[in-house]
Parts: sequence; C-alpha cells; structure tokens
Amino acid sequence: MRRNGAAAIAFNLVFSLFMLGPIIVVIGVAFTPEGFLEFPPSGISLRWFRAILDNPEFITAAWISLKLGVAAASVATVLAVPAALAIGRGRFAGRDALQALFLSPLMVPTVVLGIAFLRFLSLLGLNGTFTGLMLCHAIIITPFILRLVLASVAGLDRSVEMAAISLGARPLTVFRRVTLPAILPGVIGGWMLAFITSFDELTVTVFIVNPSTTTLPVRLFSHITQTTDPLVASVSAVAILFTVVLMVLVDRLYGLDRLLIGEGKR
Amino acid sequence: MAFLELHSLTKRFGAITAVEDLTFSVERGSFVSLLGPSGCGKTTTLQMVAGFETPTDGRIVLDGRDLSGVPARERGLGIVFQTYALFAHMTVAENVAFGLEMRKVAKAERTRRIADALDLVHLSHLEDRYPRSMSGGQRQRVALARALVIEPQLLLLDEPLSNLDAKLREEMQLELRRIQREAGVTTLMVTHDQSEALAMSDSIVVMDRGRLRQDATPFDVYEMPQSSFVSRFLGKSNNLAARLGESGPDGAALHCGNVVLHGPKADLPPGPVEIALRPERIALTGPDGGKLRGTVAERVFMGNQWLLRVETEIGDMLVMRYNTGRREADIGETVGLDWNPADIRILPAETNPA
Repeated sequence: MRRNGAAAIAFNLVFSLFMLGPIIVVIGVAFTPEGFLEFPPSGISLRWFRAILDNPEFITAAWISLKLGVAAASVATVLAVPAALAIGRGRFAGRDALQALFLSPLMVPTVVLGIAFLRFLSLLGLNGTFTGLMLCHAIIITPFILRLVLASVAGLDRSVEMAAISLGARPLTVFRRVTLPAILPGVIGGWMLAFITSFDELTVTVFIVNPSTTTLPVRLFSHITQTTDPLVASVSAVAILFTVVLMVLVDRLYGLDRLLIGEGKR
Repeated sequence: MAFLELHSLTKRFGAITAVEDLTFSVERGSFVSLLGPSGCGKTTTLQMVAGFETPTDGRIVLDGRDLSGVPARERGLGIVFQTYALFAHMTVAENVAFGLEMRKVAKAERTRRIADALDLVHLSHLEDRYPRSMSGGQRQRVALARALVIEPQLLLLDEPLSNLDAKLREEMQLELRRIQREAGVTTLMVTHDQSEALAMSDSIVVMDRGRLRQDATPFDVYEMPQSSFVSRFLGKSNNLAARLGESGPDGAALHCGNVVLHGPKADLPPGPVEIALRPERIALTGPDGGKLRGTVAERVFMGNQWLLRVETEIGDMLVMRYNTGRREADIGETVGLDWNPADIRILPAETNPA
C-alpha cells in the first residue's frame, strides 16, 4: 500500500477538523454553565440539559418529529420497495421515466418543493395537519429508500425466485419468503436513512407546519431567531447522540459504506 | 411413447431464433444431456421445459401430458441452477423443507423426507448450517436435495458443475450420477462441457445455433459424428478438407491436396467433403513408414499422455500418445504417421463453418 505524504496527511487532518468542527462546538457549548453561547466552555455543567425538561415544547416537538419520521419512512418504504423491484428488474416502456420521477425530489430545490407543497396541501384541505406533513416528508425521502433498495435488487439472483416457483410457491409467497428476506438489509438501511432525513428536515417543513405540528428542527430554528441561549446546543447534542446511535445500528445491519456510496456490492 | 417429448420446439425473441424446430425425447429414468456452445439455445430449451419461457411453437409432453399452459409452479419439476439459488436466509433443512411446505406435506412426513433427502446427498450432519458457511460442493448437494425431496417427475440440471473447481467437478460427476440412479429420476442436464456430457449421460443431444445436430449415446456421438461441428465439439479431432472420389470395394479414395488417403465406404456423393481423424488413433512410425510424413512442431507432456503437433504437407495433425515411460519423438524430428483407414470419418463439407 502506498503511504500518504506529509502534505496529504495535513490536508486530511484539516479537512476532518473542518467537518467535525460544528459538532465539537455544539457539544462543547451544550455543557457550558453560562447563560450565553460560549466556546470553549468555561466549565462543565448539565444546566442546559436540565433546561430541556423545563421547556416541554421541545419534548413535544421531538415527539412529533419522531412520529413523523417513523410514519413517513414507513409510507415511503411501502411505495419504494415495489417501485424498486419493478425498476430494477422489469423491462417496460417508461421505466427510466418512472425512475426519474421517483428520484426527482432529490433534484428539485427544497424551497421550491416547500412552496409547492404549501399550495397543494391547501387545495387538499390538509394544510397544517400531521397527515399532510407526513405525506410531504414521504415524498422527499422516497428517493433515499429507492436507491438503497435498487442496489439490493441489483444483487438479487433471479434464479433464487425461479427455484421457489419451481418448488410450487405462488407469487406472493415468493415475495414474502424469498425476495423480501433477500433485500431486507437494503430495506432496513433505506428506512433508517429516510427516517433520519425526515427527522432533520427543515427547509420544506418550515413552509407547511402550524403550531400544533411543529417539528424539532423548526422549533430549534424559531427559538434561535428569538433568543441565543445554550438550550439549542443541548437539544442539538441530544439529537446528535440519537443520530449516532441510529448510525451505529445501520452500520451493524447494513454497512455505512454501502449505504452512503450507494453501491450494491456484497 | 417416451417419458418426455419435445416436438418441433421453437423459440424466437423478436428477430432472433434461439431454438428452432427441436425434436427429441427422453426415456423414463434416463440421464440426457443437452450439449452445445454458449448461445446454442440449450438453456432456453431448459427454461421452456421448466415453464419459465413460453415456446413460440411446438409442444412439450411429459408423461403423456401436454405442458402448454401449465405454469412453472404446477409442473412439479426439480431444478438445480448454475448458481445453486439456495435461500440464503434459511438453514439447509429449511431450504429442503420449502417445497414440502408448498405442498402442505404434514410435519411428520416432512421431517422424514428431509432426512431421507439429506441422507441421499450425504449432508445429514449439516442440516442446521446456513449456505454461506458451506463449500461449493456442499451447496450443490443442498440444491440437489431441495430439488429431489419433492419427488419430481423430471430433474433439470443447468450447468450444475460449472462453479466447482476441476478436481471436485470430477468427483461430483460420479456422485451426481449415483444420486440420480438411486433416486431413479429422469434427468435433463444442460452443459457446455463435452467431457461432462460424455461421462454422465445415457444419451447426448448436441445443439448448435438453435438446432439439433445429433442425438445419440455418448459413444456414438464421439465415434460416429454426423457433422464437422459435432466431430470438433466433442474431444479433439483433425479435420481436413478433401475431395471424395469413387468408392471402390476396399473403401473410398480421398484427395487431400496432392495426397490420396483411403477411408471407409462413404454414403456421400463424390465431391468436396471433410475428413476427421482422432489424435489418439494415429500411431508414430519411423520417417519412412506410415501413410504420411511430417515434422514434430510442438510437444506437450500431460502426465498420462503426450500431445504432439506434427506439420505435414496436407496440414497440421494433432497426435495423442499414451505415456508408456519411453521417450517420445522430439521437436524437429521427422516422423511417419500411421492409422487404420477405418478410423477416418467422412463428413459432409460445412458450407457455413462454425
């Protein structure tokens, strides 16, 4: 293996610090005993973590975000899995168009999506409702699941399904007993990535929430536009911890490399 | 009426004809190989028998029943795929159980039949293992047990040995044949490997470019090829263009360039033909003996035998000699080639050589 030169090591070090910087700062600030954003912290205190408990609107918002993420990721999975099976294996007219349609939420600027959803939901009379919010999130996160499931489908050996058919299995049994278990790591990985994306989503959500459906990112955003106390930092630190735990789970189940590079290697 | 019959089976994909007017039959309990190079239509044929492809034309009749319109899952055939196609998330026993579950076989009988099937393939001790922790040969046996446990009317093998290394492949040839005999199941195997087909089959159907070229026992296909393609595809062969003269009482005269060779009586009209002679039927003599003189141009030692390429005035000839422990003719040496005229095969000239 070739060794890196000193310049390359220095570059990578600086770049990694740049990437980690915001997280280090947020976690540092969260532990400050002072009443303002201070870094490095002058001491270690759990004052602002206790403060979360005194601000139930953050806990309510976190709870809404959690429910929203679970519901949106599940709805999107139900849409994306059959789509991935059809796109990944079928040869039919409009296959590329269908794939482009499902991946399009990645291309359209989120601000544009937000405005569009706002209009669309008013037309449907779903403005400000949890259902409306959930459907919008499902649309935004479908491409993430689709890509991962497509990668799994690409690695699927067609003859395994043929074997099941030859042994007498009906189409639904083949799917339930053979196909789904084979692509399950991709489905679970996709669900988790979609959940995290929904949990984080701010740009689109800002357009379509109302006070009763305020999510955690929106709550943090509106808090920081009014005051600048370290409460936002402690809430963020908890969210970071939660994300890290999820990512470790995903890595164990599926492999983070595969998930982020999006390749179907086995 | 034979057990499995294919009548004028044809499959076209758009403008491409994959299988054309294929007719052959398989006797009950026998082992038949579909042999040919890749793209010859053998796999498409297997897919049609299995029910995964619909024939464009022709019929498949199994035990007197026309299979047209019978979906794959109702044909009751056992299939072993090239990739084995095991269910990776199930144990060996669960893999084998799958077909029985689909047939709603009662628990007690299921357990007994799984045990019998695993016993047949010598895998009883591994029933709780997962496929990923098994060797290629063991996976192959699981695939066989899974296909045989449903007591299929017909066993289909798609290149079953091509993913095994050379030594294991030879062992599995014998093993596969033993299992097939013990189970007594009629078997159709697809392979591109002529030695596999020769070693395992009761009968070989040679295919090329979608058409049947010959359907005979392994011995007859090798000894009495009916075309240049078959003579070259099975084993090694020296094939030379020649002109067939009038047949006399002691055989036919064959003109190869300026040399006249003698062959057995031919049924072909005088004119251009192709002659085929197996390398192992040629003997080496002194430079002044034999029917043809040549110079050894290449010599390969293969352990039990020598393969020599001898340049002669009518072209290069391959010669196969058993290694008897004595020295063999060296490169550059002038030798005479001799053979029994009855070993020459006279074949119709290929108008469109493969």
